[in-house]
Amino acid sequence: MPDRVTMTDISKRFGANAALTSVSVAFQAGSVHALMGENGAGKSTLMKILAGVHRPDQGEILLDGVKITPAAPRDALDAGISTVFQEHSLLPNLTIAENMFLGREPMRHGIDHRRMEAETAAALAELGLRLDPRRLVSTLSIAERQFVEIAHGIKGNAKVLILDEPTAALNAADVEILNRNIRRLRDKGVAIIYISHRMEEIFALCDRVTVLKDGQWIATHDTADITPDRLIALMVGRPLQDLFPPRGQTTGAEILRLTDLRLTARSRPLSLTLNRGEIVALAGLEGQGQQLLARSLIGAHLPHGGTVAINGKVIPAPSIRSMQREGLGFVPEDRKEEGLFLGLSIAQNITMGLHARARDLAPARSYKAVVARIMAAMKVKGRAGAPVASLSGGNQQKVLLGRYLAAEVQLLVIEEPTRGVDVGAKSEIYALLRDFAAKGGAVLVLSRETLELIGLSDRIYVVHDATIMAEMQADQASEHKILEAALQGGRGADV
Amino acid sequence: MFDLMGRNSRQGMWAMPLGVAVVIGAVLSFGTAQFATAENLWNLVTQAMPLVITAIGQMLVVLVGGLDLSVGSVISFTTAILALDAPAWVLIPAVFVLAAGIGFINGFVVTRFRVHPIIVTLSTQYIVLGVTRILRPTSGGTVPEVVIAAVSGSLWGVPFAALWGLAVIALAWVLLYRARYGLHLFAIGGGIASGQTEAARNFGLKDRRTVLLAYVACSCFAALAGVFLAGRIVSGDPNVGLLVELDSITAVALGGTQLAGGIGSLHGTVIGAFVLALLANGMNLANVSPFVQTAVKGVILMAVVGLQSRKKMGL
Amino acid sequence: MLNKALRVPPAYYVFAILVLVLAVLRPKMLDPHVLGIFIRQVAPLGILTLGQLLVIRVKSIDLSGGGVILAVNYAISSGSFPGASLGFQVALALGLGLAVGLFNGVMVAKRRVSAVIVTLAVSIILVGAVQYLASGKPPGNVPEVFGALYNTSFGVIPAPVALWGLLTLILAVFLGRSVYGRFVAAVGESTTAAQFSGVPVERTVIAAHALAGVIAGVAALVQTASIAVGSVRVGLDLPILAVAATILGGVAFGRGEGGVWGPFFGVLSFALLFVVMTMLGVGEPGKLIFQGLIILSAAILYGLRSSNT
Repeated sequence: MPDRVTMTDISKRFGANAALTSVSVAFQAGSVHALMGENGAGKSTLMKILAGVHRPDQGEILLDGVKITPAAPRDALDAGISTVFQEHSLLPNLTIAENMFLGREPMRHGIDHRRMEAETAAALAELGLRLDPRRLVSTLSIAERQFVEIAHGIKGNAKVLILDEPTAALNAADVEILNRNIRRLRDKGVAIIYISHRMEEIFALCDRVTVLKDGQWIATHDTADITPDRLIALMVGRPLQDLFPPRGQTTGAEILRLTDLRLTARSRPLSLTLNRGEIVALAGLEGQGQQLLARSLIGAHLPHGGTVAINGKVIPAPSIRSMQREGLGFVPEDRKEEGLFLGLSIAQNITMGLHARARDLAPARSYKAVVARIMAAMKVKGRAGAPVASLSGGNQQKVLLGRYLAAEVQLLVIEEPTRGVDVGAKSEIYALLRDFAAKGGAVLVLSRETLELIGLSDRIYVVHDATIMAEMQADQASEHKILEAALQGGRGADV
Repeated sequence: MFDLMGRNSRQGMWAMPLGVAVVIGAVLSFGTAQFATAENLWNLVTQAMPLVITAIGQMLVVLVGGLDLSVGSVISFTTAILALDAPAWVLIPAVFVLAAGIGFINGFVVTRFRVHPIIVTLSTQYIVLGVTRILRPTSGGTVPEVVIAAVSGSLWGVPFAALWGLAVIALAWVLLYRARYGLHLFAIGGGIASGQTEAARNFGLKDRRTVLLAYVACSCFAALAGVFLAGRIVSGDPNVGLLVELDSITAVALGGTQLAGGIGSLHGTVIGAFVLALLANGMNLANVSPFVQTAVKGVILMAVVGLQSRKKMGL
Repeated sequence: MLNKALRVPPAYYVFAILVLVLAVLRPKMLDPHVLGIFIRQVAPLGILTLGQLLVIRVKSIDLSGGGVILAVNYAISSGSFPGASLGFQVALALGLGLAVGLFNGVMVAKRRVSAVIVTLAVSIILVGAVQYLASGKPPGNVPEVFGALYNTSFGVIPAPVALWGLLTLILAVFLGRSVYGRFVAAVGESTTAAQFSGVPVERTVIAAHALAGVIAGVAALVQTASIAVGSVRVGLDLPILAVAATILGGVAFGRGEGGVWGPFFGVLSFALLFVVMTMLGVGEPGKLIFQGLIILSAAILYGLRSSNT
């Protein structure tokens, strides 16, 4: 089959991070090509480059042998490259038909609503859907929205269709409808690029599969020539760097217990315990509810049921301030936007947790000794009066951790502890967290990097579909087992 | 089912102010003999027209989550320009070019430098007001005959004002509902209101240009209101547009348009403007002091904007 | 290097340039007594700016100060409270300011209404009410004790300027040394980060508005004393001038590099600017244009800077 799209030597950096390094891959007309890889492997970045959302730093894209340089989504669309992105991209205040035709509305004495609606109804009917094209997208269910997105993607003369986890919100019957349509498009000669984490779908649907890892191309195979086990092995199998301190020896009394917590209206209840002296990880694929779980427990998100107990005491209405009074600290993933006060000094950032407990009118103690002790213990490089914005990622993360160590919290919830942190600082941060646990604290850690979670923690909960699928000891866990527990642990609750 | 609260539509909650308008109208017809006369009703339409025109322009900006506080100054500025000593064929195009320029500055600073629209338009409000007062420190001068004639005559008993109003509403209707531009405004506003600021761009819309044009259009609508007012007062007046920006925001919000963007309707805005005009008319008939009327406007503004919820705190 | 220079509040440069201009053109103006009189005129603005900078630090704004000044001026000059003591009148002014400020704060922090809309609406309600009560005419005279206090001076420093300086010092110390000051800095830097670190965000914003209201009450007393008569127009342009002085002083929405003294010099710059403008024959309209340009250019400057980082 002829190559429809060839991407050659594509590289892309975001700031200091290389998202893609010299990736070359070809997608054929009339074929479904799976793109696989762990969280952060570069799949989405590669597809966003093809769709004109990002521009590559280097590399070349050929469409039917002709070089294209999509500088905006519009360019890619005009060239015949359609995308259904993972994140919802429909506009809630427009009707289905308006969303379908947005940016290329048919005109006949003004926008031809009748034609838009008729064509939309036909497109939806092809997918086996009966939705009124005049309904606002905000009134649709998540699965219905997903189908509209897909209908939007396959409408028109798409030569290339990119589907980024299209089945995440669909139940089995809907997935079957979708697959039928994908095959139909394939038979019409469309090149389909399919990103999914669901093994059975990959093998049922796709002709070829390409694996990316850490922004690099690893392998491309015909699906007929490869087994699921071999595929997972290709995706993982990174040498484990020896950055991690030894695991904890003893565990103390229970500090946190979640009972029958329901994160969303439709998710299944989950329960979890955490003991002093432990580091416990929430693992799983990106966006499966780990973050929602963390934020429910720190009091920033109101769960749909269940209880949170700290030191055996049920907290009636958890709010951020009430949980902090119970000795909880939270280090959010987005350090710069949600964690730090970039324009304030290191000292002010560290002492904010202490001040937050004081009365408004109390004099603000400088806590010079505390700041000095924390900065020395954590090896923060910089003057206490320097603005945090001037620090490196690793030092910023230490300052944020330092805020909660200074406030002497008992329980630390930390998202992505080493994102944007260099290798040296990584091992220092791991050691700090281990030390915190060894002194009687407890840590709940979330990360996209499964290896980090295995190396750092004592125990792992695997989260999928906003509930806990499995629990395992970290020393017996592997990326393979975790992926398996998440991917093959069943589809979860129907949506 | 009739969607009274406007939850399932993009039109916003416009039926309620219509009800309010009907109630006020009914109360006034029974309460005062002067209200339900043809003369007073046409008068009402004429009085409402500048606000209707300005509010329609304001709505374009509000639909994309913005706000334009400079429209009052643009109105005063327009009357001052029209009262200059120059031929009509120079002055009339000039006011629209100048207004478009002001709108361009507003839109450019908002879209390029990401400065909050309130800050930008507050600044231009003062700058334009200052220029106006230099041109015309107190009210005076005469506006071209053609402008006066265009707003003070009538056709088969229907005052020109009403015809002007219809024309502007028709123009806005085409812009909002027949042309692509309006749909794109709604789309961009919907993206902003739901926190997906990139969504419209991913559909290939030119969001910056669309937003910038909304500010330009808003200023031009204000200038049109200014031309209308100049014809009515026959002179230039540096204070005629005072507080109109707040009235226009009140009218827009009262008509069910969400200040967060993406939800709203032309008819809602027209109804909102007429409710305010009815109130003013009623209060005039009831001899309510103009100062109290100002205070009442403040209360309504606070109420209608306060009833809309949003997540962001601050400006 | 350039970045460092940008971090110095523009007010200091403007102030230095204006002093230089005056020294060259009208050295006589720099006589402490003459200068004192000019600076005394901006004392109400200076005091009002203290409240403005506080709310702007927490990313809000207060445009209701004009209404408060007008209402206080009316209450004092209309003779509504015949024979009232000075203490009563001060309490009335501060109480009114506090009530308005609390209302603003609750609407902004709890109801999340746009601060511009709330405070503008409050202002026009107050203005409408006062003008109605006064029937549009200036009410009457201000008790003489106000004038006497206004004309007192400590050496070369007039009493209103001394009060302004004192309040600035108090606010500087309060924001610098209290836990509340840390909360203000935190909310201004990042509302989300403040929330996650346990700072009571809503309470901080409400308190900022309440305090700004009380400060507006003080500014109203000084302004009333300065004009000695009742008026139905007094002080209406002060809130926006206070915004301009605050921004000129290096305090923009959420950014506090200028501290409390930056805006102080912003107001001083305005005092000198009015002198220079009067000298050059620039009238009221020119001042309006200038205010607008200051706010616009400062906002663009901050916008550019934040898009660079």
